[in-house]
Amino acid sequence: MFKKNQHTQASTGTRLPEFSFIADDEVYIDTACQSLRPLPVQQALQKYYTDYNACGGRVKYAWGQKVDGLVEQTRESVLKLLQLSKKDYSVSFTTNTTYGINLLLQQLPAGTYKKIITSDIEHNSVFLSTITAAKKLGIPRRVIDRDNDGTLPYKKADLVGAVVVVNAVSNIDGRKLKNIADLVKDTHDQGGIVIIDAAQTMAHSYDMLQNCGADAICFSAHKMYAPSLGVIVARKKLIAQLDISFVGGGMVHAVTKDDYQLLPDDLSSRFEPGLQAFGEIIGLGAAIDWLQSVKPFGKSPKQYMQELSQQLYDGLSQVAGVTVINYEPSPVITIHTTTYDAHRLAIFLSGANIMARSGTFCCHYYLLEKQRLPPLLRFSLGLHNTPQDVQKVITTIQKLIVKGA
Amino acid sequence: MFCIAAFIILILLSIFSAKYRKMLGKSWACVARRVTFRPCDTNFKEEVKSKLLSKVALKKPNMVKAADIGLEVGAVLVLLITAWSLYVVVKSGLNLYVYGTCNPSNSASCSLGAEACSIETVKPSFIDSVTSFKVHVWLGNEFKDLGKTVSNIPTRLQNWEPKDYLPQNATYQKAFDQSKQTALEVIDPGCTFCKQLYINQKQAGFADRYNLSYIAYPIPSAKEKSGYKFENSLLITKYLEAMKIRPLKDASTPADWQIIDRIFTWQDDAKVSYQIRFNAFYNEKDAEAKLLQWAKELGYGDEDIAALKTSAMSTTVSDIIAANRKTVEDKIKTVKIPTSIYDGKRHDGVLSVQDLQR
Repeated sequence: MFKKNQHTQASTGTRLPEFSFIADDEVYIDTACQSLRPLPVQQALQKYYTDYNACGGRVKYAWGQKVDGLVEQTRESVLKLLQLSKKDYSVSFTTNTTYGINLLLQQLPAGTYKKIITSDIEHNSVFLSTITAAKKLGIPRRVIDRDNDGTLPYKKADLVGAVVVVNAVSNIDGRKLKNIADLVKDTHDQGGIVIIDAAQTMAHSYDMLQNCGADAICFSAHKMYAPSLGVIVARKKLIAQLDISFVGGGMVHAVTKDDYQLLPDDLSSRFEPGLQAFGEIIGLGAAIDWLQSVKPFGKSPKQYMQELSQQLYDGLSQVAGVTVINYEPSPVITIHTTTYDAHRLAIFLSGANIMARSGTFCCHYYLLEKQRLPPLLRFSLGLHNTPQDVQKVITTIQKLIVKGA
Repeated sequence: MFCIAAFIILILLSIFSAKYRKMLGKSWACVARRVTFRPCDTNFKEEVKSKLLSKVALKKPNMVKAADIGLEVGAVLVLLITAWSLYVVVKSGLNLYVYGTCNPSNSASCSLGAEACSIETVKPSFIDSVTSFKVHVWLGNEFKDLGKTVSNIPTRLQNWEPKDYLPQNATYQKAFDQSKQTALEVIDPGCTFCKQLYINQKQAGFADRYNLSYIAYPIPSAKEKSGYKFENSLLITKYLEAMKIRPLKDASTPADWQIIDRIFTWQDDAKVSYQIRFNAFYNEKDAEAKLLQWAKELGYGDEDIAALKTSAMSTTVSDIIAANRKTVEDKIKTVKIPTSIYDGKRHDGVLSVQDLQR
């Protein structure tokens, strides 16, 4: 099942063996949407289905106990990866980042916060959920323009009683929230909270979130080499404040005719109504283990991704007729051209077995309303990619754009 | 434009392969927008076009723009061809209903109606009109024809009474019987399908059940030197009319009917049908000699024959033929010969023995 072209791939020696199932001539370069899953993650998921495919959190038999142990282990792995304390934070599982951010914002208590602050380069998961939350809470919402280097410029007075919701890494051009530490500290000083959209951060830049002190971090496991899953890492203090309205399943302690009580000590369950995706949670644990141990060609994942990013950025920047919208190299590089519409270019690339994303990447406000840009073409690198993949992308783009002009 | 063309092509592809049906649904959504004057779904249009162009883009990137324009032009052509095909189908269907042929100007070219000799009208073809820069004239003719067909639809619904079209000097194949209904046929003596109808009528005993009369109508043709489709048809018609004016006394079958019988059913010593002789071998002089020989054989004396000759070339006969032509073209409005009128209906073309026995 997972051994497609394994021998061919192994013989080339250019790709990580954990991605040996990818054919030589195929270039998947859309990791920002969903990363490919390395073999250890696929095997962990398959092992759950074949060896101990039981419910967790409610049974006393052996399989279920094993599931509970591994789910708990994954929660701890997430906290360990982010260097956050189990005493202050809890880890909950949802379906994706968008769902997690909405769960948090829609359950914020009324009257506690004075405003919502977000930025212009946010994904719709943040941009729209902050609009609805502001309306629901009856508080103002302010959109601050991020600097070209990704910094969120603010005055301390802006942060009084604020709920700050921003991404740590942009899914448009990979811009990083460089002042995250100051932002968190200043917001806390002004009585506010910080919620981080870490969807694009966890795969290759999780170090910038380590011990960052944010009140909540939402991310998607499927963008960090794990199965499809959403994760909320939140301060227990924040969860305790929330007006929990999505209820049921594992969070219930007691029920009377007209009322109920939630488990007082298990705050992670507050975002987990109903049965969980146990196989995917266990797969996330395997992905974190793999991410921390993998050494692509003897390099750290971060260093490897930086090299690939630089190669792609330099190559695309030199193609006449291509406009790279990034301010600096990043695993996420977005372009547009005057020769072809991005959707058409994506289909042409698909004809060459290059799978890249075209469109506005759920960033309608920034790209369409503010920048008034045409549809864009986004390349997002992953650890499965190789320098040969990058070269193929550059060469193909060059051929299409220069000769097609 | 492109999504409509894609929809048309996908309809055809979907007939043969289910894999195109999902895309057909998408293209329909796009077409629905287009026909309601909303912008077409650009995603669909771009997706289809880009997929079609992707191979060109990767092999010959410099040809993409040309191929793109080619696709748009192709889409316009597909649309025009489809629209024209639909028009032709509708027009042909209407013609088939009204005239019994899908092509009234040349009914022999249409295999859908009954077999018949067509009354052809010569009009410039599309290519002629393009080369002579008179496309507007060609278009005008097309729509004029369509209008004529539509205006003639009521003729198919009307009750056809032979007496409304009978010539004043009508003769009947067998003695007129008040108790029988009348049947009228429009025939050209040179038309092979009129001959076939005559043979079928004989076999079906049609003239025993109806008072069978006829209008002799030499089919005009602008292509022929004589001005008629069959070279000697006018001459034969003149003598048939002359024989009606000067009938044989005491003949059980009128002389003109006997001449028709000989043309349609007799053969010469070489076993060649006389209809073929008149059409392909006889010049006017030979034809007249044969007709006069037959008249003598039928019982016309020398003086009668001289009178027949005079009568055949008279203005009276010419007027009768002209009046009959007017009846056929303006009142009956048929484009197929033979045409029979009986039982309240008009029947265009050859009728089978079974049809005639009903």
